[in-house]
Amino acid sequence: MCGIVGYLRKAKATDERSIGAVMLDMLHALSTRGPDSTGIALYGSPADNELRVWVKLGDDNPHPGIEQAVLERVGALTSIHDAVREGECLRLAVRPVDAANLEREILQAAPAAEVFSIGTRLELMKQVGRPDALDRQFHIAELSGTHSIGHTRLSTESRVDISHSQPFWTHGVTDLAVVHNGHITNYHKLRHRFEHRGYRFYTENDSEIIGPYLQEQMKTGSTLQEAMERSTRELDGTFCYLVASAEGLGFAKDFFCAKPLVMVETDDYVALATEEIAIRRAFPDAPPPREPGANAMQFWSLGE
Amino acid sequence: MPEIDCNEKDTRDINRQIKALVADGEAEIVVRNPAARHNIAVGLIQPCRVLIDGSVGYYCVGLSDGPDVEIKGSAGWGLAENLMSGQVVLHGNAGNSAGATMHGGLVAVHGHAGARAGIAMKGGTLIIGGNAGYMTGFMMQKGSMIICGDAGEALGDSIYDGRIFVGGEVASFGNDAVIEDMTKDDETFLRETLENSGVKAPNSGFKKVVSGKQLYNFDKKDFARWRHAL
Repeated sequence: MCGIVGYLRKAKATDERSIGAVMLDMLHALSTRGPDSTGIALYGSPADNELRVWVKLGDDNPHPGIEQAVLERVGALTSIHDAVREGECLRLAVRPVDAANLEREILQAAPAAEVFSIGTRLELMKQVGRPDALDRQFHIAELSGTHSIGHTRLSTESRVDISHSQPFWTHGVTDLAVVHNGHITNYHKLRHRFEHRGYRFYTENDSEIIGPYLQEQMKTGSTLQEAMERSTRELDGTFCYLVASAEGLGFAKDFFCAKPLVMVETDDYVALATEEIAIRRAFPDAPPPREPGANAMQFWSLGE
Repeated sequence: MPEIDCNEKDTRDINRQIKALVADGEAEIVVRNPAARHNIAVGLIQPCRVLIDGSVGYYCVGLSDGPDVEIKGSAGWGLAENLMSGQVVLHGNAGNSAGATMHGGLVAVHGHAGARAGIAMKGGTLIIGGNAGYMTGFMMQKGSMIICGDAGEALGDSIYDGRIFVGGEVASFGNDAVIEDMTKDDETFLRETLENSGVKAPNSGFKKVVSGKQLYNFDKKDFARWRHAL
């Protein structure tokens, strides 16, 4: 049992709250479903000529030398516009370079580190504990942007730490992030297959398979939406996941329709949540939501 | 008319207050600001009328016998689960498993219903004004269901008994769910039940779906059918 939420604000919306504040409201409402950890992937305004990078330097108060090593290596590769330390994590804004190369260089400088995200707009923040803990560390309520997905986790199959928390960024695909509620029961089979093809997995969390699955489909020419569509038949188990990219966000649901999700779309916004309680918290006057059916998939692009 | 404001109250307090007002003989109780919270108005076993002014979460009016509840919003999973008697009217959409295992009474959903509405129904009447989701009426054992819109895949899968009326299209039938001709009694029941409920429905064109009763007893000759069903 986890909680997932998604929010996309349409261009003509007049809501003056920050995206972060809306997300935090929704996450608070679902924290009873997932008290173990909380995280969000938030898409801010694009800056010209900039990549945003989130790196976990290590667990439990990583040594300052690790941060220094990462900064030196990244600085040798490209120019660093900004570097901010938030707990175990380091956020960098850098002049764009090849993302795969950037990730490789960071891991060479700090082998125990993990790159949480690279994107032109994606900011990926996660932490153990409830939404309050996330907000204290990252000041979520102040963050602005266009859309976001978030997660509250109740761990059922892998350990509780920051790495096993969600969202998961899809390594190698800038800006693509996933949150998931459910179980992917062909995870081990798929992971084994993908590892043979060179994918690296950083956790034992079955949710981490969704990003590489979508990436693998897109490598063979599918669009993201076609990949999501196919996933409803090829991922096994009871699941519901949300995907976000720089272009927008969407959801996909399993064949059995065994995991909850409700959605509301108005002229101003799209809101998705595991339970309506999250939508009511952020949008008390929202119209009655709808529960999508088995194998359902939908994607909303910004500006539509 | 007494009102209960759910704000700042825990669920147990809300339900205790509803029951205390029922015990005091109040004719009608209004519940404000339910905010899609779970387990509101559960375990009502005295006749009473409760009006819920907004959306509710999971298991609303669950495990109840005899109440008359109207909900002016939508509902999460398991609306009126195991209802023994009474009436539950929902003006919005229902999540999965509305009217699950209900034994009697009436559940009327004016909007759409998610997957598995009326799963293991054992009696009573479930009306869905809009469309019904995947595996509606799964393992239904008794009672009547009326779907005014379309039905999703695997309608009436492994149905033992009871009847499902569908006004719209059926995406696919479940194992051993078959169409049967309507009787005069069916027509009368359908017309009267829909009129009394106030749910908007097509005037004609309903199909009746029942159990083909081919799965009652295992026979090795029918292995192929069983393999599919299981």
